[in-house]
Amino acid sequence: MKQTFTIGIGGAAGQGVATPGDIFAKIFSRRGLHLNAYNAYQSIIRGGHTFLTIRTGPERVSNMGDRVDLLIPLNQDAMNRHLGLLTDGAACIYNADTITPGVPAKGALLCPLPVSKLADISRNKVAQNTLAVGAGLSMMGIGFQSLEEVLTEQFKKKGDAVVSENVGIARAGYDYATAHFEPFPWPLPMTNNRYAVLSGNIAMAMGGAAAGVKFYCAYPMSPSTGVLHWMAAHARKAGIMVRQVEDEIGVVNMAIGAAHAGVRSMCATSGGGFALMTEGLGLSAMMETPVVVIDCQRAGPSTGVPTKTEQGDLWQILGAAFGDYPRVIAAPLDIGDCFKIIPEIFNIADRFQCPGIVLCDLLLSEGRLSVDPKDLDFAPVVDRGELITSVPSTSGSSGDGVYKRYKITESGISPRAVPGVPGYAHTAASDEHDEDGVLISDEFTNPTKRRNMMEKRMRKVTGIEAAVPPPVLSGSRDADITLIGWGSTKGVIEEACEILTEQGIPANHLQIRWLVPLHGDAILNILKDTRHTIIVENNYSGQFARYLRSETSYVPNGYIRKYDGEPFMPHHIVEAVKEQLGGKSRLSVPAHEILV
Amino acid sequence: MATTSSTPAPKINRIGLSVMEYKGGKTTLCAGCGHNAISERIIDAMYEMGVQPERVAKLSGIGCSSKSPAYFMSRSHSFNSVHGRMPSLATGAMLANRNLLTLGVSGDGDSASIGIGQFVHLMRRNLPMVYIIEDNGVYGLTKGQFSATADVGSKLKTGVVNDLPPIDTCSLAIELGATFVGRSFSGDKRQLHSMLKAAIAHRGTVMLDVISPCVTFNDHEGSTKSYKYMKDHEEPLQDINFVPYFEEIDVEYDAGTTVEVTMHDGSRLRLRKIEESYDATNRIGAIQRLLEAHDKQEVLTGVLYVNSTAPTFIDLLNITEEPLATLPESVTRPSREVLEQCMEELR
Ligand SMILES: Cc1ncc(C[n+]2csc(CCOP(=O)(O)OP(=O)(O)O)c2C)c(N)n1
Ligand code: SF4
Ligand SMILES: [Mg+2]
Repeated sequence: MKQTFTIGIGGAAGQGVATPGDIFAKIFSRRGLHLNAYNAYQSIIRGGHTFLTIRTGPERVSNMGDRVDLLIPLNQDAMNRHLGLLTDGAACIYNADTITPGVPAKGALLCPLPVSKLADISRNKVAQNTLAVGAGLSMMGIGFQSLEEVLTEQFKKKGDAVVSENVGIARAGYDYATAHFEPFPWPLPMTNNRYAVLSGNIAMAMGGAAAGVKFYCAYPMSPSTGVLHWMAAHARKAGIMVRQVEDEIGVVNMAIGAAHAGVRSMCATSGGGFALMTEGLGLSAMMETPVVVIDCQRAGPSTGVPTKTEQGDLWQILGAAFGDYPRVIAAPLDIGDCFKIIPEIFNIADRFQCPGIVLCDLLLSEGRLSVDPKDLDFAPVVDRGELITSVPSTSGSSGDGVYKRYKITESGISPRAVPGVPGYAHTAASDEHDEDGVLISDEFTNPTKRRNMMEKRMRKVTGIEAAVPPPVLSGSRDADITLIGWGSTKGVIEEACEILTEQGIPANHLQIRWLVPLHGDAILNILKDTRHTIIVENNYSGQFARYLRSETSYVPNGYIRKYDGEPFMPHHIVEAVKEQLGGKSRLSVPAHEILV
Repeated sequence: MATTSSTPAPKINRIGLSVMEYKGGKTTLCAGCGHNAISERIIDAMYEMGVQPERVAKLSGIGCSSKSPAYFMSRSHSFNSVHGRMPSLATGAMLANRNLLTLGVSGDGDSASIGIGQFVHLMRRNLPMVYIIEDNGVYGLTKGQFSATADVGSKLKTGVVNDLPPIDTCSLAIELGATFVGRSFSGDKRQLHSMLKAAIAHRGTVMLDVISPCVTFNDHEGSTKSYKYMKDHEEPLQDINFVPYFEEIDVEYDAGTTVEVTMHDGSRLRLRKIEESYDATNRIGAIQRLLEAHDKQEVLTGVLYVNSTAPTFIDLLNITEEPLATLPESVTRPSREVLEQCMEELR
C-alpha cells in the first residue's frame, strides 16, 4: 500500500480552517510531494462545521484516503466529531485552554498545546491555528525553514512586524512540539518535483484559456463559481472577454451569440442553472453553433445541498433540450483532466458544430490536487473545423448566392460562415430551416426537407464517434472483480482496486470519460471477459448503470452507490466489494463515517 | 444620341444601391398587419441612410413580429433566436463582433412577457443596437392572447377583459439606461420613417416601441392597440426631422419651437415641438409625462428621450477596434508563457 499522510482540520466557518490548510498544501507541494485536498463544508459564511482533509505523499494521491494521521480540531465541536477517526499512530493537536479532549483510541496520541502560554492570544486571534501548524510540521519531521518562507510570503504585504509575530508564534508551536510530542514514525520525504496545486475549476478555466476561449460568461452558482473567479481575475492577462450575466438563460444565449459571431465561448454552472440553459442548448444544436457548457454537479434535486458532491445530473444532461441532436458529453476523470478535456471538447464541438457539455462535480471542481505543469499542454491543437471568417482569397468570388449555410453534405458538416463576411450572409434560426437557412417551420413546411435536415445533422454523430476514443480497461485483464465508474470517481476506484488486489482479490477498472458518444460496443467487448462487475457511482438510482443498460442492454453483477453528499473513500468500495462477493447483497450503500 | 424609350435608371443611394437591394422575402404575415408596414419603413430608412446590408445583423425572438426580419434586407445576416432571448444573443454577438450594425425586432410578448428579464438587462447595457418592439398587445402567433403591454380594461374579441396594468417598455427603457427611446405607430409613416433614420445614426441602445395593430386578433372595438384607437388617441409630441450627416442642411430652424440634437456621427435630429413643454433630453420629465399619459389614456408618440453623448457598453468595456471574432488566434490565445505564469501562482 502506498505511503501517505493525511491531515484533518475541523472548525466552524470563519475560524480560519482554510489558512492552515493552504500553508500545509504549499509546504507539501514545494517539497515535491503530491497532495489531494477536499473540504467538507456548508452553505454558510460563519458557523457550521468545516472539515478539510489534506492527504500527501511521494506518489500520486488521487483521493482523500481512509485514515486521518493528524487531526487539528479548532473548536470543541470538531474534537467531539472527529477524535474517533484516529487510530494507532495518529495524533491530535489541540488548544488545551479551550478544548476538552475525548478518549482517543489505543495508540492515538493527544497533543495539547498550552496556547495562552505560547502566544499572546489577545493580539493574535488565530494564534492557535499557527501554533498547531508549527507543532504539526515538527512532528512530521519537516524543517522550520519551509514554514517561515510560506508565512513570510503570506504576511509580507502587512509589514515586517506582522511577519515576525506570526513566524514567532509558529516557531513557539514548533519548538514546543519538538520538546513535548513524539514525532510521527514516518517523516515526510522530499523529492525534486515541483507541483502546482489546482482545483478543478481553475483547471477548467485554464483549459479554456489554452483552448483559445475568447468569451466566458456565467451567473454565480456553487460549485462552478471558481471558474468565473479565475476567468475574471485573469481576463486581461489571458485576453478573454468575461461577463457576469443576469441569469443562466442569459448566460447560455449570450455564449451562443458570441460563438455565433465566431469566437470560442464557454460557460459554467451547476444543475439548477443548467436546467435553465436547456432551451438555449437546443438553439445551439439547431443553429449548429458550437458552445461548451460545464455543469459542476452538486447534490440535488432543486437547491439541494449546494456544498455537497453528487453525480446526479447525468440524465438531466442526457435529456437536456427537446428533439434529437448531435452533441458530445464528457466527464473529466480528475483535476488534471479538467484542464485537458476542455481543448479536446472544443475541437469536437467546433468540428461538428454542436454543443459540448462537460459534466464535472463538486469533488473535482472544488477539490485540489497537485499537478505537474509539465503534464499540461499550454498550446494544445486548436481545430476550429470548417469556419469561414473572411472571403477566401483563392475563390476570387465573394460567394454571392452560392453559399448555403446548412448545405447537405455526406458528413453532415456544413461550412460555417460568421456574420459579416460579404457574400456569406444567411439566416440562422431556431426554427427548422432549409439548406440555405430559409425557415420551413410554417407556411413552407416540407416533410422531405425536414427529413433531409434532420438526417444531415444527425449524420454528424458518426463523425463524432470516430473522433472520440473508446474507453480502455485499466489493470490486469485477469481479475476477479471489475469496477466500472465514470468521471470523478476514477481516483478512489483505482485505489480500491489496488487495495483489493493486495488483499488477494485481483481487481481491474473501467472508467468512462466520454458519456456521449459512449462506444457501447467497445464497452461490451471489454466486459464480456470479466468475472464479476460492479458499477460504482455517486447517486441514488444508478444513473450510469441505467444509461449503460439502455445503450447496451448490459447488466452488471452489482452496484455501489453513495448519495449522502460526500465522496467515496477507498474502504467504502473495498468493503462493499467483499460484501457482494460474499453474496450478501447486490447493492451496497456505504455510510460516511466522517461527521460533516 | 439618347433614345426616348429607355427606362429611367433606378434611383440609387449614396453607396450605389437601389432600394431593391434592401428588400426581403415575401411576407407571410396577414394582409394589413402593422408589422409589414414597419418592415417597409426599415427598408426605406436603411436605403436612405446608405447602410451596407452585409454589415447588418438582424436579430429576433419568436412571434409574428420576430418573423419579419425575413421580409426585409435579404442581403443581411439574420438570426432568429428562441422566444424572449434575443437580448442576450445580441449582446454576445456584439461583444464578439462590434462592427455589426445590430437591428433587433421583437414583439410585446417576446420582450415584455417571457423576455422581460432579458429586456431590462439589455436596456441597462446601452449596447449599440436598434431594438424595435412591434407592439400589438397580444401574442399574434399563438392566436391572440393578451400580452403584458395590453392596457387594463382592453377587451379581446372573445370578450375577455384584461385585468392588469400594462408594462410601459418605454418608461422602463428610459429608467434603465437606454439612450434613445421612442414610441411610434406603424400607421404613422412619416414619423416612423424619420425616427428609424435617427435610430440608425444613434450610438447606444435605441428602443422603439411601435404600436403595430394585429388585424386578426386585436383590431376591434374595445382594443387599445387598434388602428382606430390609435387614430383617436395618438398624441405626437414633436414633428421629427432627421438630417443625416451626409446631407446639406439648408433650412434654418426656430430655436424657440425646435430642439436640435447632434448625433454621434454629426447627423442632426430636429424635434419641432408640438407639445411645447416637452423636453426629450430630460429623463425624469419623460417618465413623468408617460405616467400622466397612461392616466389620461393618451398614446404619446415621438422621441421620448435622447442622449447622444452617454458611453455605450462597447466604450465601457474598452474593446479592441478589431472585432474579437476576427482577431487572429496568435493575438487572443494566451501564450504558453502567460499560462506558465498563472501556474506559477499555484505552486
Ligand atoms: C418558450 C416558449 N413558450 C411559448 C412559445 C409560443 N409562442 C410563440 S410566439 C409567442 C408569443 C408572441 O407574441 P409577440 O412577441 O407579441 O409577437 P406577435 O406574434 O404578437 O408579433 C408564444 C407564446 C414559444 N415559442 N416558446
Ligand atoms: S396574427 Fe396578428 S400579428 Fe400575426 S401576422 Fe396576423 S395580424 Fe400580424
Ligand atoms: Mg404581440
